[in-house]
Amino acid sequence: MAELIRLENIRKSYGENEVLKNITISIQEKEFVTLLGPSGCGKTTTLRILGGFENPDSGRILFDGKDITNVPSNRRNLNTVFQNYALFPHMTVGDNVAFGLRVKGMNESDVKEKVHYGLKLVNLEGYENRKISQMSGGQQQRVAMARAIVNEPKVLLLDEPLGALDLKLRQEMQYELVRLKHELGITFIYVTHDQEEALTMSDKVIVMNSGRIQQEGTPEEIYNEPENAFVADFIGDSNILSGKMVRNHLVRINGVDFPCIDGSENGFAPGLDVDVLIRPEDLEIHPAGKGILDAKITSKLFIGMHYEMLAQADTEGDFEWLLQNYDSYEVGSMVGLYVRPENIQIMHKPKTQEEEAIEIDI
Amino acid sequence: MKKFFGNLYIVIIMLFLYLPILTLIVLSFNEAKSMSVFTRFSLKWYGEMFHSKLILGALVNTFSIALLAALIATIIGTMAVIGIDGMKQSTQMVLMGCNNIPMLNADIVTGIALMLSFLMFGISLGYCTILFSHITFCIPYVILSVRPRMNKATDTLFEAALDLGASRGYAFRKVVLPELLPGIASGFLLSFTMSIDDFIITHFTRGAGINTISTLIYSEVKIGIRPSLYALSTVIFLIALVVLLVVNWNNIKNERTAA
Repeated sequence: MAELIRLENIRKSYGENEVLKNITISIQEKEFVTLLGPSGCGKTTTLRILGGFENPDSGRILFDGKDITNVPSNRRNLNTVFQNYALFPHMTVGDNVAFGLRVKGMNESDVKEKVHYGLKLVNLEGYENRKISQMSGGQQQRVAMARAIVNEPKVLLLDEPLGALDLKLRQEMQYELVRLKHELGITFIYVTHDQEEALTMSDKVIVMNSGRIQQEGTPEEIYNEPENAFVADFIGDSNILSGKMVRNHLVRINGVDFPCIDGSENGFAPGLDVDVLIRPEDLEIHPAGKGILDAKITSKLFIGMHYEMLAQADTEGDFEWLLQNYDSYEVGSMVGLYVRPENIQIMHKPKTQEEEAIEIDI
Repeated sequence: MKKFFGNLYIVIIMLFLYLPILTLIVLSFNEAKSMSVFTRFSLKWYGEMFHSKLILGALVNTFSIALLAALIATIIGTMAVIGIDGMKQSTQMVLMGCNNIPMLNADIVTGIALMLSFLMFGISLGYCTILFSHITFCIPYVILSVRPRMNKATDTLFEAALDLGASRGYAFRKVVLPELLPGIASGFLLSFTMSIDDFIITHFTRGAGINTISTLIYSEVKIGIRPSLYALSTVIFLIALVVLLVVNWNNIKNERTAA
């Protein structure tokens, strides 16, 4: 796959507030890339810079190898699906979808055909003459998609397009988006704060916080091998603890030694202070005394597919472990907790504030 | 019983509101010049009205000034709103504050101030000075009615149009202007009625020999008001009534089709 878009050393400030602190992103052709982060992390600003609605203070944007930093938005070969759809309220659905085509001066019979094709693609056949106000939120979302894709852009920018929909519809649209992406064969750049959306749809996830890229990789890499506490905490449920490398392949957490698979060969030398991530579903529950440490179940919630439990271990430090298990264990009972070495993710301590977890759960 | 008093209350309110106008209409058909005795039905004052150069001149002045002032104020005001929208938040606050002051200011102060400025710059008072003054006091009302339509959603629509390849001018005409239109229309109508209504500012900024309806009636009061002015007032009231009915009827019709 060839590189289609490259953002190089982009910086952007609003007054005192530095929103983007030297961002470099490379996007391949036909990739589904998600910019993921909490609000205010700079993901929307990045998208707006790509769309041409904001100018970066420094850095440049390459599109197909050409510098488009100073090209205005109406001459960039990309289209945006806006957060609140930004449909033109005084026009019909058909006129909305036709807008970009008419701007290009396409003749009316071709426009009609294209609009029909666009609406069919988003399952809104025959809605041409409806008013925007007569469409539901989900339908408006689809109209916005159709309006963007009939222009056959090389890249589609999507700014939290599912944010205003209810859960069921949101899940449905996730499948729709992936289908559309495959059908159209174009590049999608997707902005969201919803980690589930990011994991389900993307080829590549770029996690951002405070104007910096924290990690980029496939959804699996981001989930299984987060590089710092922020990424670990932002994506999925997690137990994040402070630890110290005892020797290669052994980490001490709260006075208890856990075998792991990291060591000095990948930058975690003995004696190093580290952060340790253990996903709640990776904590196996054994009879008391049969695990690495014993803990007492302090609370239990039925979540639907599994039980979510908290367990207090009788070790140094006061840490409550978050467990997810298909079996239910009574509150007050003692259990043994065990983690496979490959399920322990060792991370470097945060060097800057934005690499820290935003809040440690529980 | 309760219903009876309720209805009575409404009738009393209606009488207070419309009895004076009704009196005026009745007197406009009175043959005698008297303000208190109705002698015989006649259309003579209507005839006199349409033959009086003074009255017809005042009518033309009033409506031409109102139309021009409303038109120009609407254009300037709308452009101001677009300009303000592109400014920093703090500048916007200051400008909107400045915009409110002329509306709160007493008309008589505005009137005298305008007159003094015209005289100071050696502009002789006449039709144009009235027109300038009316444009001046209408602009803030236009800004006030158009500005709420120019919000973040409108900005996004503009961006969406640019995103679809439209030039800035095309995006403005096709997307932003239709959004502003209800505000522009109400700004225009507001300016138009304010201009027709105005007496004080017109009084101070008009030159000798030029009259609008309000200043004409005022000057007639001093020499004894003629019933032809009742006729004029009746005609103006009826025109306003018809316009109001048409507008309301249209609104109702639109609501029915939308529903």
